[in-house]
Amino acid sequence: MNLEKVVFGFFVLLAATLNFGFVLGDLSDPAQHNVYELFAALVISLVATVLKFGDRTQMGAVHLATSLVADLQLVAAATVWGFVANASPGGLDEAGTAAVVSLAAGALLANAVSVVLLVAETVSFSRP
Amino acid sequence: MGEPLPSATFFLVMRRMRVPLITLIVIFAIGVLGLTLVPGRDELGNPHRMGFLDAFYFMSYTASTIGFGELPYPFTYAQRLWVTATIFLTVVGWAYAIGSLLALLRDRTFRQAVRTAHFSRKVARLREPFLLIAGYGVTGELLGRAFDRLGRRFVVLDLDQERIEALDLAPYRADVPGLAGDARDAGRLTVAGLEHPWCAGVLALTNDDEANLTVTMAAALLRPDLPVVARTASPLIADRMRAFGTPTVVNPFAAFGRHLRIALRAPATYQLMTWLESGPGAEIPPRRKPPRDGRWVVCGFGRFGCALTDDLAAEGLEVTVIEPEPDEDDRPVIVGDGSDPRVLAGADLEHAVGFVAATDNDAANLSLVAAARRANPDLFVAARQNRATGAPLFRAVAVDALLVPTEVVAHEAYAQLSTPLLWRFLGTVPERDDAWAADLVDRLTALCGPRLQAVWKVRLDDEQAPALQGRLATGIALGDLLRDPGDRDERVCAVVLLVLRGDDADVGPGDDVELRAGDELLLVGHPSARRSLDRTLGDAVVAGYVLTGRREPSAWVWRRLAAARR
Repeated sequence: MNLEKVVFGFFVLLAATLNFGFVLGDLSDPAQHNVYELFAALVISLVATVLKFGDRTQMGAVHLATSLVADLQLVAAATVWGFVANASPGGLDEAGTAAVVSLAAGALLANAVSVVLLVAETVSFSRP
Repeated sequence: MGEPLPSATFFLVMRRMRVPLITLIVIFAIGVLGLTLVPGRDELGNPHRMGFLDAFYFMSYTASTIGFGELPYPFTYAQRLWVTATIFLTVVGWAYAIGSLLALLRDRTFRQAVRTAHFSRKVARLREPFLLIAGYGVTGELLGRAFDRLGRRFVVLDLDQERIEALDLAPYRADVPGLAGDARDAGRLTVAGLEHPWCAGVLALTNDDEANLTVTMAAALLRPDLPVVARTASPLIADRMRAFGTPTVVNPFAAFGRHLRIALRAPATYQLMTWLESGPGAEIPPRRKPPRDGRWVVCGFGRFGCALTDDLAAEGLEVTVIEPEPDEDDRPVIVGDGSDPRVLAGADLEHAVGFVAATDNDAANLSLVAAARRANPDLFVAARQNRATGAPLFRAVAVDALLVPTEVVAHEAYAQLSTPLLWRFLGTVPERDDAWAADLVDRLTALCGPRLQAVWKVRLDDEQAPALQGRLATGIALGDLLRDPGDRDERVCAVVLLVLRGDDADVGPGDDVELRAGDELLLVGHPSARRSLDRTLGDAVVAGYVLTGRREPSAWVWRRLAAARR
């Protein structure tokens, strides 16, 4: 058993599930999207990225790339949320929520690819 | 680390920074999350929870020890309790992360990786032919300076970090990439550009025979097309090197013996060879006449003394050897230390003609030379100089023949790599007689004075001699080609040493030699002669005048008028 791979798998999967939990619900309804879940998804996603630092295999490089894409989307979502919730006159309205959630949904796609890669790697890594 | 890619440093930083970065992320996450959960109050006393943006902002300036105060509202005691805890956490986290980064930058492995990456980037960016010099001792430095003067680029690989650092201080015109590494490692050789398309030659000049052998093998296996020059003092290693391709193996002791034999047999030939090997700007060496017959005394029977004794014996000379620890041998060996006057007296120097101080200790050699001169002032004295630091002293005692192994290797390698045609010429010179060489030396000194001027080669093809293409089909006499473009009754100040056609070389050709397309000429002479010849080769009008004496007009109007006049 490779502890490094297990830890990495845990974080990748956790990032994807949290992300999914945040995106789930009506796109423009602020009440159906908890900001704490977005925060948790962002933190876990960052940790997953750092875990892939310095991996020089081809698979590791692709993992890093997809992970960075997810980070980018989530950071954008968090920034938009921070701006809309604090700085815009109307507070968190429907349009703002839609923007935040759609950005997070993009991150979900990247995280889904990460999970697919992880599964593919695990399956191909078939040592008896 | 096998072959460090240029991005190795980047990966190393990323790998080492994994734990500190994750620590930092976790600390931040805990701090921000706590701040959003701890209940606070606004300025009116109403309950207020911090948002994520406020919490992240507060954590950022607190963790980086900037500190703007309690925003957006003054904190409650519950919040202050939490913030106190996070302050300690974040300061520790930052200190840990920055400390790790600084430790990494001071790490030996990391710095070596940075240096290697920098070096391989420099080598990969080279876009002109360069030589790979493995071993940058005295020989490497001599050669480096000579090639740099020629405007040739080179790359250095040496075991010693200090020598590589000295490269930056050396007064070279071009930037010389240098790497501290073991030349026995083929990976290092590849990083140093062995497989680079612009690599033009490999020189194995380390003071370790095995390393030189490895470099020769690697070059022969990975790049069989490259010329290789390797240095060794052992005939056995030389044979093993020659098993791989066709390297030029330079054995300084054998080369000195060969030169001494040529000097004994043909002083003018020896003079010509040493002059041409010394490179442009060299003063003509004096023509010495070593004694042809008589007894020689060789002091020190190491590798050099042994090789020299064989060479002298091959010339039919009688040799007396002085050696403190002789092997079993049938030569007349006087056992003892040569610096002991009684031992030297036993060698009967009064009736000898030549003396060689061949030990591997410079101080001993100098004192031997002095003692021998005292015993017999007319002796022909040869000495071996082992270290560069002894050079002024050996110059001061002014021996008749001085062996500096490093210089011998440098000269031979230079002659081979700077102008391969010259190397070929030097290989054939000893086969000619002495009078021919003396005549050539006289012609050269009459043309260009006592300093060696430019040595260059010309290939008569479309690229270098476009003006002659039509005429070369019928052949051009060499004497006609060397006429001066200003006045064809004069000759340019240059001597053709060799004409190469296909694979057969005509050494010292006469004026009536017919030149054909594709011939290569090796010339020595004045730089002005080189310019004149370039005009003859490149300008059809000049070529017409030089070869036939008629000035063909080059402009259209004059050509019409000339045609009308005929």
